[in-house]
Amino acid sequence: MHRVTLLSLASFILPLALAAQQPPTVPHDSVRGAIRAVNVRARTLEVTTGVGYAIRVVRLQVPASVPITNRDGGQGAPIKLAELKPGDVIRASFGGRPTGFVAYTIERVGRMDAGAGRVP
Amino acid sequence: MTRGWIALAVMCSAAACRRPPQPGEPLRGLSAAERARFDSGRAVFDSTFTPAVGLGPLFNASRCGECHEDPVTGANGDEVEHHATVFHPERAGAMCDELADKGGPVFQDSVTPALHAALGIDREPRPSIVTTVAERTTPDIFGFGLLDAVPDSVILSYADPDDRNHDGISGRPNRFFDGRLGRFGRKALVPTLREFNDGAFQAEIGITNPSVPQEGTVAGDSLPAGTDPAPDPEIGARGLELTDAFVRLLAPPAPLKQSREARRGSDVFARVGCTGCHVPTLRTGDNPIAALRHKEVAAYTDLLLHDMGPKLADICFGLATPSEFRTEPLMGMRLVTHFLHDGRANTPEQAIEMHDGEGARSRDLFDALPAADRAALVAFLKTL
Repeated sequence: MHRVTLLSLASFILPLALAAQQPPTVPHDSVRGAIRAVNVRARTLEVTTGVGYAIRVVRLQVPASVPITNRDGGQGAPIKLAELKPGDVIRASFGGRPTGFVAYTIERVGRMDAGAGRVP
Repeated sequence: MTRGWIALAVMCSAAACRRPPQPGEPLRGLSAAERARFDSGRAVFDSTFTPAVGLGPLFNASRCGECHEDPVTGANGDEVEHHATVFHPERAGAMCDELADKGGPVFQDSVTPALHAALGIDREPRPSIVTTVAERTTPDIFGFGLLDAVPDSVILSYADPDDRNHDGISGRPNRFFDGRLGRFGRKALVPTLREFNDGAFQAEIGITNPSVPQEGTVAGDSLPAGTDPAPDPEIGARGLELTDAFVRLLAPPAPLKQSREARRGSDVFARVGCTGCHVPTLRTGDNPIAALRHKEVAAYTDLLLHDMGPKLADICFGLATPSEFRTEPLMGMRLVTHFLHDGRANTPEQAIEMHDGEGARSRDLFDALPAADRAALVAFLKTL
């Protein structure tokens, strides 16, 4: 009986533990906005976005494995997190984790002061 | 005799159709379905929200029509609200902190009883880092659907950020955070009317919706538990669409018939250079709504930012520096009782006198005019 309880508990917890370790394959959400702050050491980004005057910030963790590319004149060339600057317009896909939002992909599409084209 | 009455009724009906739109009326030429959406949208626009259905817990008004009210729904109002940002002139390309991490630049002046009981506040507190607080009056929203329908290319054709034509006017575009051209709001931050409307539900009334599903914060801090019991979203997609239809389809008030003095004032308006920014007409582009498609709109704006000098300066917003403001549309100006972005001017003459920066040359030319010409220019403005 005791063994059955432990097995039941393990069968319940094990999938949750595995899911927490593995990134989901489908992006949870996406954001397009202007970079507000970059912390290279902590590998985090703050992105300003919103709807009208309902403005908010999206904070993203950026693991080292996340592809960061530059569409602005670079034809999708890879760039480093440290090359992103406040005022850059980016498009990012991300997912939720217990620790916060984690980026899956980041693409720099332009500069806010130069315009970044129409959003589809 | 009966035939005569019928003919008279038909003639009167035709005349009514030709009668130009009055303030608060819809654009002419709407389909029956569009007119029905306009009427339903007006009802949503005038709906009062209570805490039980989602008001607040921070808010500036309990319904759209509470501020856009005078003399009719959709017009201006006497309410003044407060916006705050932090200006960092040393940060090239990212000079403005819109306090996105504190819930944005709109600091609401009212709270629900539940939030007052929880935090003991009567309004949203402003963070200590704020450098400037701006006052904002409620503008009328007549004809805004037409402004929304003006292609970006038309607005950008008036931009002259480096003043290459040396006329002292250097309009430049503002842009939203995703890089799109802005046009709505006193600093021209918001790209589309729909986004302005959807955002206003949350920022002004505290009503979450499918476009803005998150409740606001108290200067960046989460709401105390139990202070916002209404389930999100607090208004659905249908309510948003109807509200948008009402605002989008509101006609600009037709200008009054001009007297000889006002006609002369129109010429003076152009002669002293006001039309350098207050561009008399813009043309809309293609649009799914026929009443908005390829129309001339006498907006008297270029929808661009212009430096108005240090005395009018308040907050930064997007790319707009503290002293830059979007050229205020003048359509419907005869209905306005307080002028400029914060209502500090009580008359058109005072508003002209407060123009500085890029408006200084026109102001000086206005001041140098004979009294009769100045009166004529003001008479013209009062026909708009």
